[in-house]
Amino acid sequence: MTAHPDPRDFKALIDDRPDEGVFRVHRDVYLDQQLFELEMARVFEATWVFIGLTSEVEQPHDFITRNIGRQPVLITKDEQGEIRGFLNSCRHRGTLLCPRASGNKKFHACAYHGWTYSSSGAMVNLTDQQTGQYPEDFNQQNHDLVPIPRLESYRGFLFGSLSVQVPSLSDHLGGAKALIDLVADQAPDGLEFVSGGSRYTFDGNWKLQFENGLDAYHFASTHASFVDIVRQRPPRDVPEHIQQFSTDDHRIVAGTVSFDRGHAMSWSKGAPGQDPAGRPLPYDQQNFERVRDAVGEDRLSWMLRQRNLTIFPNLQIIDIQSLQVRTWEPLAADKTRMVSHCLAPKGESPEGRRFRIRQYEEFFNTGGLASSDDNVMYELSQAGLSATLAGTPQGFSRGMAAEPADSSSYSGLSLTAARKTANEAGLGFGDETGIHAGYREWLRLMEAGE
Amino acid sequence: METQFDATAIATQLLYRESKYLDQRNWNGWLGLYADDATFWVPGWRNEDEPTDDPDQELSQIYHSSRRGLEERVMRVESGKSVTAMPLPRTTHFITNIVASSVEVATISVEANWMVQYFQPHRGERLVNFGDYELTLRRQGDDWLITHKRILLKNDLVPALLDFYML
Repeated sequence: MTAHPDPRDFKALIDDRPDEGVFRVHRDVYLDQQLFELEMARVFEATWVFIGLTSEVEQPHDFITRNIGRQPVLITKDEQGEIRGFLNSCRHRGTLLCPRASGNKKFHACAYHGWTYSSSGAMVNLTDQQTGQYPEDFNQQNHDLVPIPRLESYRGFLFGSLSVQVPSLSDHLGGAKALIDLVADQAPDGLEFVSGGSRYTFDGNWKLQFENGLDAYHFASTHASFVDIVRQRPPRDVPEHIQQFSTDDHRIVAGTVSFDRGHAMSWSKGAPGQDPAGRPLPYDQQNFERVRDAVGEDRLSWMLRQRNLTIFPNLQIIDIQSLQVRTWEPLAADKTRMVSHCLAPKGESPEGRRFRIRQYEEFFNTGGLASSDDNVMYELSQAGLSATLAGTPQGFSRGMAAEPADSSSYSGLSLTAARKTANEAGLGFGDETGIHAGYREWLRLMEAGE
Repeated sequence: METQFDATAIATQLLYRESKYLDQRNWNGWLGLYADDATFWVPGWRNEDEPTDDPDQELSQIYHSSRRGLEERVMRVESGKSVTAMPLPRTTHFITNIVASSVEVATISVEANWMVQYFQPHRGERLVNFGDYELTLRRQGDDWLITHKRILLKNDLVPALLDFYML
């Protein structure tokens, strides 16, 4: 590869030759601001992007605001109970219509000149229109909010697309739906975010977070201080009803699954600190029994494994010592704003909820003991990637020579068309091939925009 | 009136000592200001206006129900294995508006405002955190120890990390 290929020669940026044992990502993919603008238009503003949970807009007139790529959007539940999405921009002068993150409003009035819209996006009051001496052309125009072209949800996870040219959300998620089911089925009464989700930034490209969420290889080194802290603790008092789920089988098995359209999951079982008794799900005994009866032992065993799921391009659901939803809003080639939530079943017992929260805070918070190490690593990665003269990094080869998993490794999950590995070499294996799927999808989308 | 005066003087001295220990990276001195059963709490924010209020049902940025959690944080910083502390930022604490009162003989309640300016050498950037403190102090022999500290962080969109020494 040349030092700086033409930013539009996308194939030169993603060197994908699996038959020759080659998968490399050019440094410009993290560094080039022109490329960043293109990927906002061709990835984030052209495919399905995760927005939030449908339970964030539960009641009529509830609303939330987000960004899809560079576009501010307003999501509402209208009077009839339908979830609607709009560009968050007043039709008059383009002002940000709703500056708040969430709330409940029957009407959204622009603070600038008072143009007012209903929660279904309809213009209800164009201030002083009668006395405005407007030309006929203006009066003929539609003044409603501009809707987001596509808005669909799957199991309570809400996605939007700013392009009409996308398949149904169901087709987009494909086989990864079975992995979202492993999360949604933990909550018979639905999922919710625990109050107090947080935002933070890091000075690095959003793809560093994308990669890290599928990277088991970094755990032992990046999180060495966290592992030390967990090891020196006295054994946790495990409630009696949970003890039966503690496993005596300490063989570490790990693997990755990847799908078309960039989605992938890395998983493991038997790893230190990942005993099922350290998971929040069983702590609410009543909910746990309901879940167990509904899903059966095979799928239950999958629920209790460490699972890091990426839905490309902007959602990661991390189910380890607690359950996290993280998403990101790329701000520049070298700056990313993260949004992190603790995900929980509605109606969880107070004890279960407390355990879930403590487990989440100590790992995932910016003020926690693990994710903060990742965030600093992204900044060091971004800084080091600037060394373009050092050539293309050797980053994604681990696991490329692994045999595909036999089908028994994935019994209990109806996964067809997916690349699967499973390996008893344990966490030290740290297969990097799950990351390939996202870059292949990135390449597909970037080329599709030409 | 004399009790009120003493309370403010005691609280001021303790807060100044805590900030000095943190800025000098005297971690053991800092831990020594906390009772074994001390709670250390940095709430999150529900929305633009309200911090989270129930640590058992809502998220906090940091929550420890005993000094053990603080000892683990010191252990992490000292381990040389956490990249968040390689290098540590240089910090300076500023504490103002200290108001203290004693409702019981051996207990002092304190409110104060705080700001921490910090410099991260590898970023070459000066950053600032700010908010307010609520503390409860308890007399133990000749000393006063912190049994509760609530640190409200008002700039909760932070770059990359947050830890006890920058609050």
